[in-house]
Amino acid sequence: MLKHFETLCGLCAVSGDETAVRDYIIDVLKEIPSVSWQIDPLGSLIVQKKGKNPAPHKLMISAHMDEVGMIITYVNSDGTLCVSPVGGVDASVVIGRQVLVGKDHIHGVIGTKPVHLLSQEEKESLPKFSKLVLDIGAKNGEDAKKLVFPGDRVYFLPDFRMMGGNRVCSKAIDDRAGCAILLKLLEQTPPYDFTAAFLVQEEIGLRGAKAAAYSIDPDFAIVLEATTAADLAGAEGDEKVCTLGGGPVVSFMDRSTMYDRELYTMAFDLCRKHDIPCQTKSRIAGGNDSGAIHVSRNGVRTLAISLPCRYLHTPSSVADLTDLEACVRLTSLLAEQIMEKE
Amino acid sequence: MTVYLTELLEQLTCPPGVSGNETPIAQKAKSLLVPLCDSVEISQGNVIGTLGKRKAGKPHVLLDAHMDQIGFLVTAITEDGFVRVGNTGGLDLRLMPAQRVMLHGTKDIPGVICCVPPHLHNGTEHVFSITELAIDTGYTKEQLKQWIAPGDSVSFDTPFHTLTDGKVTGPSLDDRCGMAAILLAMKQVQNETLPCSVSLLFSTQEELGERGATIAAYTIDPDIALAVDVTFALGHGDNPVKCGKLGGGPMIGISPSLSPAVSNLLITAAKEESIPWQPEVMSGITGTNADCFSVTRGGVCAGTVSIPLRYMHTPSELIQLSDVEQTGQLLAAYLRRCVSC
Repeated sequence: MLKHFETLCGLCAVSGDETAVRDYIIDVLKEIPSVSWQIDPLGSLIVQKKGKNPAPHKLMISAHMDEVGMIITYVNSDGTLCVSPVGGVDASVVIGRQVLVGKDHIHGVIGTKPVHLLSQEEKESLPKFSKLVLDIGAKNGEDAKKLVFPGDRVYFLPDFRMMGGNRVCSKAIDDRAGCAILLKLLEQTPPYDFTAAFLVQEEIGLRGAKAAAYSIDPDFAIVLEATTAADLAGAEGDEKVCTLGGGPVVSFMDRSTMYDRELYTMAFDLCRKHDIPCQTKSRIAGGNDSGAIHVSRNGVRTLAISLPCRYLHTPSSVADLTDLEACVRLTSLLAEQIMEKE
Repeated sequence: MTVYLTELLEQLTCPPGVSGNETPIAQKAKSLLVPLCDSVEISQGNVIGTLGKRKAGKPHVLLDAHMDQIGFLVTAITEDGFVRVGNTGGLDLRLMPAQRVMLHGTKDIPGVICCVPPHLHNGTEHVFSITELAIDTGYTKEQLKQWIAPGDSVSFDTPFHTLTDGKVTGPSLDDRCGMAAILLAMKQVQNETLPCSVSLLFSTQEELGERGATIAAYTIDPDIALAVDVTFALGHGDNPVKCGKLGGGPMIGISPSLSPAVSNLLITAAKEESIPWQPEVMSGITGTNADCFSVTRGGVCAGTVSIPLRYMHTPSELIQLSDVEQTGQLLAAYLRRCVSC
């Protein structure tokens, strides 16, 4: 699974063009028995997995393929490029950093006025995208347009790295972690059939999930995600929101969803029974594809299982591999338990 | 030449050398200087090479570039295992969130500067002061203490990379590109008889106030000293009065604190050897090692040759290779016609 996770994190797929991730997943699927798939009009990859038994309830397990990044909005006459964020990105996590642009992965940097020339007020003000430019080194606008064009996506630099304490640091852990977990589940032989959905456009408003949930029309849904951990220096108690190494995060509520109470309790009971660490979020924050899925058609009973992750939506998110393993275990146990429900 | 220079810069930007902890880059610098000099030594951290015999009536010229780079020093490890730091040199604190860094203890430990993601913003977001910054390594305090201690240096962990149109990016190009220009100049004059003797200085602690250069210049006792450093290159929306043009060639310093004879001879050398150049007019001190050179011992004729660089003091500084190449040519051209001031 680490291999899939590392490879997936290194792929570049900002919302609206998830091709690189989808192609990789399809390549993996070709080697997996008992799967069939189709691509929906928005680009989501819907996979039917045959288990040992037919499913008594229709279960959809999803992860999103897209990542946050930027998009080129304008090419200046001096060859620099204007960019806007795609999804929730703070300008402070991109300034002074190397990035990749477009399908050809043209190397560039997000420039800023040097600190020596900033006024005291500027030094103390959070940077804004409107003041940043992307510099690929082009001599002028005409030369720049030979390499890039408005609409090209801009990616954080892929740099997957192992860190202390069985941790990894990378861009796009949100939600390549979910994709890796879902691939792992597809590689196993599950007790019951299920539908795996690799979704598009989560970061710009849960858009792929809305269309896919309609098509799949499930009774139950499990959303695999990465969620924000704030167990940072000096954080106490509930300020931490959730912690790395604390196991999968199962929320009762976030900004998009009031989760199914029975599934919530079921997840914690399973973890207790199977000795899997598990935690909930101590702040009502964030949201994920559950927001679109649970209100699809006449409603879908939904739970999200999330990997706790520090520095979400930055080029350097940090997650714990033991949590990733625990997410796989919990998801497969929960999927089975849902099927065996009356 | 471009391939050679790119590889040279990659080699020079790879070893860390945060001010006061320049040993790794100093070792690299020494190994690059040895084939080009009569003798090389590391003295009080400074790397000093010598070329030619010093003789009365013949000027002794010092060419300097600083080895050190901006960064951090470890100040403490918190109970929950995060690393607190102080700054070494002028840092832009706006760009710290989620920045990749490398901690240089008894072994190198990768880390990330902590930040709060947008999901948890509560309206009190601000630019963190240096004391609010914390580095996440994944380790606990007990684990970290095996390898990391207060005083250890921390550098940005960003790769060197080529860009389009003969440009490159990376951390510490300030002033590793100045070192590259001096090495290129030395290669050019290798088999020539120069009208001067030369000392090459790769100095420490420039970012903390030209401290390495101050003591080295005293030791070397030159007649003429040139600081080869970087200067602001015009970027999008920058003030053209304060910046040079990327790709416009080396900038020759003209300032009340510099020797007009040195500035003029640099300009003559550029003109005679058809090397593109740009004037860099400053109204007082230069903010480079030339400021300490001019007041070394009883006074030294000082000059500056600067390479235009965008995004100074960020982990993604950007330069044009031709500017480094032409800076090397200009330094060689100057040495060829060097006369006492």
